[in-house]
Amino acid sequence: MCRCWGPSWGWVPCTPTPWLLLSLVCAAPFGLLGEETRQVSMEVISGWPNAPNLLHIRAVGTNSTLHYVWSTLGPPAVVLVATNTTQSVLSVNWSLLLSPHPHGGLMVLPKDSVQFSSALVFTRLLEFDSTKVSEGASQPSGKPYPPYSLAEFSWNNITNSLDLATLSAIFQGHPVDESTGAFANGSLAFKVQAFSGSGRPAQPPRLLHTADACQLEVSLDGASPRGNHSLFGLEIATVGTGLDCPSVKELHSIDDEYAPVFQVSRLLWGSPPSGFMQWRPVAFAQKQQNRESALPCQASSLHATLAYSLPSSPIVQAFFGSQNFCAFNLTFGAPTGPGYWDQHYLSWSMLLGMGFPPVEALSPLVLGIIAVALGTPGLILLGGGLFLLLRYKQHSEYQSVN
Amino acid sequence: MEEEDEEVRALLGDRPEGDSAVQGAPRALPALCDPSRLAHRLVVLLLMCLLGFGSYFCYDSPAALQTQVKRDMQVNTTKFMLLYAWYSWPNVVLCFLGGFLIDRVFGIRWGTVIFSCFVCIGQVIFALGGVFKAFWLMELGRFVFGIGGESLAVAQNTYAVSWFKGKELNLVFGLQLSMARIGSTVNMNLMGWLYTRIEASLGLPGHMTLGVTLMIGSVTCILSLICALVLAYLDRRAEKILHKEQGKTGDVIKLTDIKDFSLPLWLVFLICVCYYVAVFPFIGLGKVFFIKKFGFSPQSASAINSIVYVISAPMSPVFGLMVDKTGKNVIWVLCAVAATLISHMMLAFTFWNPWIAMCLLGLSYSLLACALWPMVAFVVPEHQLGTAYGFMQSIQNLGLAVISILAGMILDSWGYFLLEVFFIACLSLSLLAVVCLYLVNRARGGNLNYSAKQREELKLSHTE
Repeated sequence: MCRCWGPSWGWVPCTPTPWLLLSLVCAAPFGLLGEETRQVSMEVISGWPNAPNLLHIRAVGTNSTLHYVWSTLGPPAVVLVATNTTQSVLSVNWSLLLSPHPHGGLMVLPKDSVQFSSALVFTRLLEFDSTKVSEGASQPSGKPYPPYSLAEFSWNNITNSLDLATLSAIFQGHPVDESTGAFANGSLAFKVQAFSGSGRPAQPPRLLHTADACQLEVSLDGASPRGNHSLFGLEIATVGTGLDCPSVKELHSIDDEYAPVFQVSRLLWGSPPSGFMQWRPVAFAQKQQNRESALPCQASSLHATLAYSLPSSPIVQAFFGSQNFCAFNLTFGAPTGPGYWDQHYLSWSMLLGMGFPPVEALSPLVLGIIAVALGTPGLILLGGGLFLLLRYKQHSEYQSVN
Repeated sequence: MEEEDEEVRALLGDRPEGDSAVQGAPRALPALCDPSRLAHRLVVLLLMCLLGFGSYFCYDSPAALQTQVKRDMQVNTTKFMLLYAWYSWPNVVLCFLGGFLIDRVFGIRWGTVIFSCFVCIGQVIFALGGVFKAFWLMELGRFVFGIGGESLAVAQNTYAVSWFKGKELNLVFGLQLSMARIGSTVNMNLMGWLYTRIEASLGLPGHMTLGVTLMIGSVTCILSLICALVLAYLDRRAEKILHKEQGKTGDVIKLTDIKDFSLPLWLVFLICVCYYVAVFPFIGLGKVFFIKKFGFSPQSASAINSIVYVISAPMSPVFGLMVDKTGKNVIWVLCAVAATLISHMMLAFTFWNPWIAMCLLGLSYSLLACALWPMVAFVVPEHQLGTAYGFMQSIQNLGLAVISILAGMILDSWGYFLLEVFFIACLSLSLLAVVCLYLVNRARGGNLNYSAKQREELKLSHTE
């Protein structure tokens, strides 16, 4: 178990304070979660003619199993399930899943092993005209264009993009109705990656991950914007628990070594958290994803939404039945600075996982520099002071002898 | 030396008219036009202060427009910092040559005019680089600007000595320095606003807006050039009327002296370089840091970035007096370096209100300047003083050029946090050098850390 990281320097006190967080982490009620490594398998579930994309990621630890079910049946969505046994399995009833009332079409068995479950649905791609921003307006990103409903996208077959070596798969789609021609040369892609251990990908924003999490990178490439200064956004919904919605918290981080922002945003399910969505509020407007192409990323607060006002996701309905939803918007970019308009490219990454979100610490490089830089003058001062003191003493002793 | 002093005093003294020196004057002049009167000298003082205003105003214009330059010229931070490096490169050599050129080649008057021209032309080229969207032209502009900039400061000091020696000289130096700081401050707070206004009213593409903004900035340089011309005229006129000699820097640079520099002097150089590279490049890059990390608006980020200069304008004379009265220079330098280190640590590791850290930085920066530079005079014989100061400025410029580029590269690849850690490391090296200097001085029984009283006694014992 390596979850009890110290009161790391990397994160500045927020709510809760690091010590409180530490105590919470150490007293994690989910003994089943927080494994160093997991046996991860990735499988495209078929078994039905022309079956829509259904990707099952199963991460088995020593005494727990995590399931992630990604699908583009309806809008792109993921169901997260944590179980306290290594034997739990996913059961799919295709005829029920594809029926108008899919409840029960997706189950994790045995049912009593389920400790936590939640879901995310990526409902709409938003577009704003940022030239029409007025101070203090209700739409800080600008005048909205009609959004693209991601339920009305057609998606590629992920079997072709499944890469078991890197544990990744890409859902790539464009609107079914191509009358506007905006996506003639463009596409929206959701790249899902699972991990069998903790680490950090090479590409910014270099989110720290553990074996309990998987990463999603959303990228919009080549689509024609409807205005010269279009900002894009994403509407995301999660299943509501009771009447309250979880909230998006923005924490401060002193360390911008990996991502060019000093914040980290997270959405926690449950308290103490049993599931999380964590991201750096930054997107990139170039494929190189360097600091010059970094865009700010704003998240609205979550608000309870009636299910019928959102494009419905059959897999979420299949697992949870009818549910309340909480939705929020992410907007990428600002009216000035770099933007989608530069290269018609946008990418944003997030981490989705169960248990506690990973907490970053200072890198060994930084710790090394600090130790040497501050240690040396201190030691010299101490050593030099002692030397002078001894010499002074000797000197005075000689004098007394004389 | 004493005799010379007397001579100058006699030449410039505000004695009753017709007493001695104003024989050349054809008739009694009104006070404002009479070079022997205080009123006239005040006019000259005003011109001297304005002489440096343009170059100090324009020096920090890249910092004030950091986001705009990077966006409009489509450059990364490393290339952006080249604008500062190109300013420093010519000065690595010119610190030795500036005094020589003024004394032997151009003379103070032509020297000042020529250096002002360089500053002016440099800033115009810099602005044209924006207009034509050619970054190399901007770099060239900064290089030409650099040729003029530091040497102009030397010329300014020479003028001050020639007009005010034996009178209000320290006050004059102080006022000139304050004016320089005011130039930087006004620039930091004005340029961003000017850019926005021009963008809104003219609606030009980004790089044109940048060019026009910088071109307006170059008006201050033209103002300074006019001051240089007027000063040259007045100085010549005074020479005729008062039979005053043309001012000289009096710097004698002998590069062979370098081999005779003592260990404490090298340590002073090390302190100087390591300290200033953690201050100036930081200010050059600071604006965006305050916006990104602390969520400041561009206006408040400019304001906090210029606070170091705002504080040093009034505090430099105060600290100067304090160090003069107390002595103990090494201890003061130690305090200044430690305080700067603490302020950088606050900026790096905490989210505390950065005004605290920046005010501390401003105070310690002023204190260091007052305590460190006079120390050179204690460790080298007087005839080597010119070489020592020239060398100190030269390696300071070398350090600034190299570290500016390095800072840009660190920022591009690892971000502000690591950049701050790097600055902390530089300051630690500086602190290490101070500690070594203290120990070396202590072990050798040097005079660096004497109190003012001990210095006084030493002086008396020498004269006896």
